Amino acid sequence: MKIRTTKYIIKEGIINSYRNKLMSLASIIIVTASLLVFGIFLIISVNFQHKINDMMVNQLQIEVYCDASLDETQVKDIEAQIKMNGFVSNVRRVTKEEALQRCKELLEEDGSILEGYDGSFLPESFIVKINDSNNIKKVVEECKGIKGVESVGFLEDNVNQLSSISYWAKIISILLLIILLSVSVFIISNTIKLTVFARRREIGIMKYIGATDWFIRLPFIVEGIIIGIVGAIISFIVTYYCYSTIESQLSKGVLGESLDFVSINSIVLYIIGSYSIIGTVVGGIGSGISIRKYLRV
Amino acid sequence: MISFENVTKIYQNGTLALTNINLKINKGDFAFIIGQSGSGKSTMIKLILREEEATEGIISVNGFNVTTLGRKEIPYYRRGVGVVFQDFRLLPGKTVYENVAFAMQIVEALPKEIRRRVPMVLGLVGLSNKAKVYPNQLSGGEQQRVALARALVNNPALLVADEPTGNLDPETSWDIMKLLAEVNQMGTTVVVATHEKNIVDTMKKRVIALSKGELIRDQEKGQYEDEDTNHQIYN
Repeated sequence: MKIRTTKYIIKEGIINSYRNKLMSLASIIIVTASLLVFGIFLIISVNFQHKINDMMVNQLQIEVYCDASLDETQVKDIEAQIKMNGFVSNVRRVTKEEALQRCKELLEEDGSILEGYDGSFLPESFIVKINDSNNIKKVVEECKGIKGVESVGFLEDNVNQLSSISYWAKIISILLLIILLSVSVFIISNTIKLTVFARRREIGIMKYIGATDWFIRLPFIVEGIIIGIVGAIISFIVTYYCYSTIESQLSKGVLGESLDFVSINSIVLYIIGSYSIIGTVVGGIGSGISIRKYLRV
Repeated sequence: MISFENVTKIYQNGTLALTNINLKINKGDFAFIIGQSGSGKSTMIKLILREEEATEGIISVNGFNVTTLGRKEIPYYRRGVGVVFQDFRLLPGKTVYENVAFAMQIVEALPKEIRRRVPMVLGLVGLSNKAKVYPNQLSGGEQQRVALARALVNNPALLVADEPTGNLDPETSWDIMKLLAEVNQMGTTVVVATHEKNIVDTMKKRVIALSKGELIRDQEKGQYEDEDTNHQIYN
């Protein structure tokens, strides 16, 4: 096919989208609605995962206790060795004063027995944050192996439970996303089928005059892509505006801190990407496939 | 130009549409295919256009063995056959000019050739002043003339018309038939399927008569009705 013919065909696709405006508009509305439903669920899923990860991060920490007889240099050496571990994201030294305060809190009403003590009898310790729940046990073992470390404490049951929740949450999210994606694809491709059906006579006429299948098919594919892109753009604008508004309104309120929304800018690429891909691919491929039936003249 | 050798067509539902047809239409001929409804006229046209495949026999058109054409070859074959239908079959979203130009776009003609030839063909059918008009703004006769212009723009060797005057009044019908006769004078082979008795009798061209799928008459300068074959049809 010559370049000028390809240009002609693409131009035809664009012109046809405009000429059949009512059908194009109906298709765009349906594509937009389908993408919005998918997008809403995607955002809920991302926020849910974010919340779970936040909870995980707080639990993904261990406390490394040093031998009480160590001097400052030896304690700093232990801190340096812990920091060298690739799965450690943060190391915070717990001062003796802080440790004493924690003991008092733990003892509650009996905390008064510690009055007059300065905490020097307490061992040095480090709060170590781990960046990967799968390696927490490995980090614990490695820290225990450092010379001068007395013991390592972590809430194993909590970590296991949260890991399991996180895993199943991911699986369910993915399954639901796949289902919603399939529904969106089904709705969009049926909409495209209707637009092709409405113009089946035109397709037959072009076949009688001697147009090849691709000469007929390409403008429809271009139309499908245009419908997909326009639907994706509208869906994105609506999603961005609504999410930003909800995020800013709810963040100010009483629930603000506990809700902790994922910022729109950090997920904007996922949204644009998924809308564009679903819209254009389904729009384009849907048109190409729908027209096949009417090319058999 | 067109050759049917022992051609039989049986549709999937068992209808026997054509039985053992043998005929030749030469280059430059003008032939009417006549017969009552159900005689096989439309089937013959569909076989020529390769809209249907023959059950048996060989059909050759313009150097192509139509019976063995692959699916991908059909569009290239059809570009050499101009076709006019009873219901005009114009593209509703395109102007008169664009409808005719479309046939040239399909064969990837040069833009300057399209700009030269489309107005010329529109002039031939008397529609030069209607180039920017849409089909729904034209009368039936005008629409048929656009269809004819589209059929002629690529200078086909063969023009097939399936009941071209079926939706037209008598006066307009004659205008179309005169145009077809002029096209034939210029060297194009013309085949017209029709049941318009007046037209067939007046034009005195070759008549190929079908009845119940059989070829019952093939007459140069024939008439629509013939005593002998009427006897065959009605008995």
